[in-house]
Amino acid sequence: METLAISLVNAVPLLAGVPLWTVTLLLMVAVAAVILVFALTFEGVGSLVLRKVAGDIQARIGPNRVGPNGMLQFLADGVKLVLKEDIIPANADRLLFKLAPYFVFVGSFAAFVVVPFGVGLIAADLNIGIYYVMAVTSLVVIGVLLAGWASNNKWALLGGMRAAAQIVSYEIPVGMALIPAVLIAGSLSLQDIVRSQGGLLGIFGWNLFHNPFTFFSFFLYFTAAQAETNQTPFDLPEAESELVSGYNVEYSGIRFGLFFLAEFGDMFIVAALLTACFLGGWNVPFFHVGTLPWIWGNLLSLGVFLTKAFAMVLIMMWVRWTLPRLRVDQLMRMSWKYLVPLTFVNLLGVSLWLLVFRGKGIPGMIASLFG
Amino acid sequence: MGLKAYLNDIVEAVVTTAKGMRITARYGVDPKEEVTLQYPEERWEIPKGYRGFLHNDIKTCTACNMCVKVCPIDCISLESVRGADKKMVLCSYDINIGRCMYCGLCVEVCPVNSLLHTSGYEMASVARGELILHFIAAEDAPGIKARVARQVAEAAVKAAAQAAAKAAEVPSSGTAEAAKVAEAAKAEAAKAPVVEPKAAMEEAPQAPVSEPTVAKEGEKKE
Amino acid sequence: MTIRTDALPTQEMTINMGPQHPSTHGVLRVILTTDGEVVTRAVPDMGYLHRGLEKIGERVTYAQYMPFTDRLDYLAAMNCNCAWAWTVEKLAKIEVPARAEYLRVIVCELNRISSHLIAFGSYTADMGAFTPFLYAIRERERVNDLFEMLCGNRLTYNYARVGGVSGDAPPGFLEKTKEFLDYFEPKLDEYNNLISYNKIFVHRLANVAVIPAEEAVAYGLTGPNLRGSGVPFDLRKDEPYSVYPKFDFKVCVGTGERGTLGDCFDRYMVRINEMRESVKIVRQAVAQIPDGPVRAKVPRLFKPPVGEAYFRSECPRGETGIYLISDGTVNPLRLKIRTGSFVTMNIFEKVTRGLMIADVVAVIGSFDIILPEIDR
Repeated sequence: METLAISLVNAVPLLAGVPLWTVTLLLMVAVAAVILVFALTFEGVGSLVLRKVAGDIQARIGPNRVGPNGMLQFLADGVKLVLKEDIIPANADRLLFKLAPYFVFVGSFAAFVVVPFGVGLIAADLNIGIYYVMAVTSLVVIGVLLAGWASNNKWALLGGMRAAAQIVSYEIPVGMALIPAVLIAGSLSLQDIVRSQGGLLGIFGWNLFHNPFTFFSFFLYFTAAQAETNQTPFDLPEAESELVSGYNVEYSGIRFGLFFLAEFGDMFIVAALLTACFLGGWNVPFFHVGTLPWIWGNLLSLGVFLTKAFAMVLIMMWVRWTLPRLRVDQLMRMSWKYLVPLTFVNLLGVSLWLLVFRGKGIPGMIASLFG
Repeated sequence: MGLKAYLNDIVEAVVTTAKGMRITARYGVDPKEEVTLQYPEERWEIPKGYRGFLHNDIKTCTACNMCVKVCPIDCISLESVRGADKKMVLCSYDINIGRCMYCGLCVEVCPVNSLLHTSGYEMASVARGELILHFIAAEDAPGIKARVARQVAEAAVKAAAQAAAKAAEVPSSGTAEAAKVAEAAKAEAAKAPVVEPKAAMEEAPQAPVSEPTVAKEGEKKE
Repeated sequence: MTIRTDALPTQEMTINMGPQHPSTHGVLRVILTTDGEVVTRAVPDMGYLHRGLEKIGERVTYAQYMPFTDRLDYLAAMNCNCAWAWTVEKLAKIEVPARAEYLRVIVCELNRISSHLIAFGSYTADMGAFTPFLYAIRERERVNDLFEMLCGNRLTYNYARVGGVSGDAPPGFLEKTKEFLDYFEPKLDEYNNLISYNKIFVHRLANVAVIPAEEAVAYGLTGPNLRGSGVPFDLRKDEPYSVYPKFDFKVCVGTGERGTLGDCFDRYMVRINEMRESVKIVRQAVAQIPDGPVRAKVPRLFKPPVGEAYFRSECPRGETGIYLISDGTVNPLRLKIRTGSFVTMNIFEKVTRGLMIADVVAVIGSFDIILPEIDR
């Protein structure tokens, strides 16, 4: 960001008198605004796509009245939510009630900072990228607990407790399943991880095909992430048919909208991490994107990245509409007795592999056979 | 739990999930599987015999009151007067479509098939009063009653005149006897028109009820 | 009130699974006393849908009561219509023409299919899989189309009459029924692949609320709930009525295939298998149906002889028995309806002790209760 600020000051003579830190700050705000717009658009369109996909799977048409083919439905929903009455239950803890949606939304939105959208398109290429994402998405737990407690509603409380237990339990498999990608790249920075999958191996350069353990960890991460984002089969906290919407039962209007948007934001983060760590990120197969001029290279890589991320989101929706819901003790059991041991074994396997084969994956070894 | 059972659990979960996902994928991709009928642009074809709103053909209705009696929730009400030809004339016929449960018993029991189901099912309204169907407008009722009363009176006068004429035709052997008979007939004729209309009006609610049902029961008991 | 005094003292929580709840299949209020997620006591509070159907019976005539039986169990309205008709015919010893009995069996079994489809769909929706519900509704719409063709209405049919049925099948009805059966039978395999044997679904249902056979009989359970516990009692076979002896079908019994015998999964599978058997029955009925009148001559103001009669029939939710006392007038003196769902609620409190809240939802779904039947 600093370098960008410096180049901006050099390019625009008007800004010569402005101190650097102001320019940097304004630039940061501008970038955050752009990402916010993208995030909100994705979340809105994502909710619409969810309903259309649900309709297709359920032998019916989704929304199709607002706009051509229903494409403006999310705007109508957004306007409706904003115009709704702001109801706070009588004996609710007002401050915590109002604070909870912000925790959840910030927890989801702050992770957008390290998402590698393109070759040069990343808000902040932190060298602790994945670590940062794991830490920041844990803010969601606080938000959900606050929402459950402050609603003064036993159903909300149950939902909040379940959500807290679930998200905390699934943090471990999520983290463990991402470590193989980190080990192969040798860095926690997401841009480094993406770059390590580039090169002339094309699709086979992806971490997915590197070795059987990373292939396995793709699915482990997918499952654990489905739980982190409260999607069926892990949507107990908002189990519509049992808890009548769980921790957000007392929320209405835009407060509810924030919870809802944060769910889709989380979905995108998970999809982005899946793409970056396992599916090659913004790498175009058999092509070195850096050779193109700055604007074309970024556009192309952005397009590739978004295509892969959206495909992952669609698969998550597909799983969501197929499977029933796990009970809370089965959910805990699955995390602690199945996912955690499997991810540990996986991690051990990847470490041994990298030790034995000196960091080379299967496609790499096959390629080196042919010279 | 042993390792084998553990691995079996995982494999079974993956396999059954994949089977389910294959089915949902097929539905998701196949455009022929959408069964939505986009109302109100597309409408379901109503089959013959659909029990929609009720319609009574006033000209054919004989005001026999069968529909009123058989309705389990009393949503049909009618008013009738006995006409000059001894048949009942409808003054008002109301069906409360909002209360009606479309069971079809009234249509089944109508002897002249004047009360029928239509295929209508759309009558959203903002006031419950709008849901009462008046098959004879309320303002027509006094007119009908007045007309019928007039017809009955005319018929009674005509009948009395005929009776008097018949009495006059009797060959008069003795003028005193004949005159007495003629006077008695005239007195009767004079009395009759006064009594009849009132009796008809009072008897109206009961007489038509018993007549058709008795006839019906007689028929059914054969 | 503290319950656990060992390591961590906890406090009981009273939650109201109120009359308005997505999973209680109607306006059922369950007062749950839980220790965290584990239910210590679940008391059902019924009566939110009481409409005095039995009292209404004393005010209307026998023919006029037929539309009220539609609303007794609106998902199996044909079965309730026919139950009333059979009871009155038993009391007055009326002979019903053969074609009418065959038509009654056809519509009763088709309605069994559509009722079990709703049971299956809403159960899977309660468990979180929203998709099979819509597939079930789609199939049910086709059954409703058949009924609309037959009697003119899609939910409250008022089809049976004392002495027969209200009208003959229009031309094309039997062919369309066969078409529907051919279309529907492979769908059951699709449902089994999609959800019935799904590991998550099986885990939610297996070993939950196990009801041993003796207990099921002692509490008076009937229908699929009883057969799910392994008791092969089906009124259509054990006390046959109408023309059921002429058909060849199996009695579906729970086998404990994915858990213990008598758990929720068994009751669920009994319903899926019963749909298959109903398809078989309808096929045979459509093939065997004779020609003839569809209604016996019954006087308009029908006065049965003085006496009483009790007739029970196999409805999708259990045994529906109607006890009718007549005093020779046009209105019944007293009628009492015994429904499967009401008696099933007897065992609810016992069976939910020690379960988790999510399992309470599973239990309600597996009993397939419907509130109009419970509250009348």
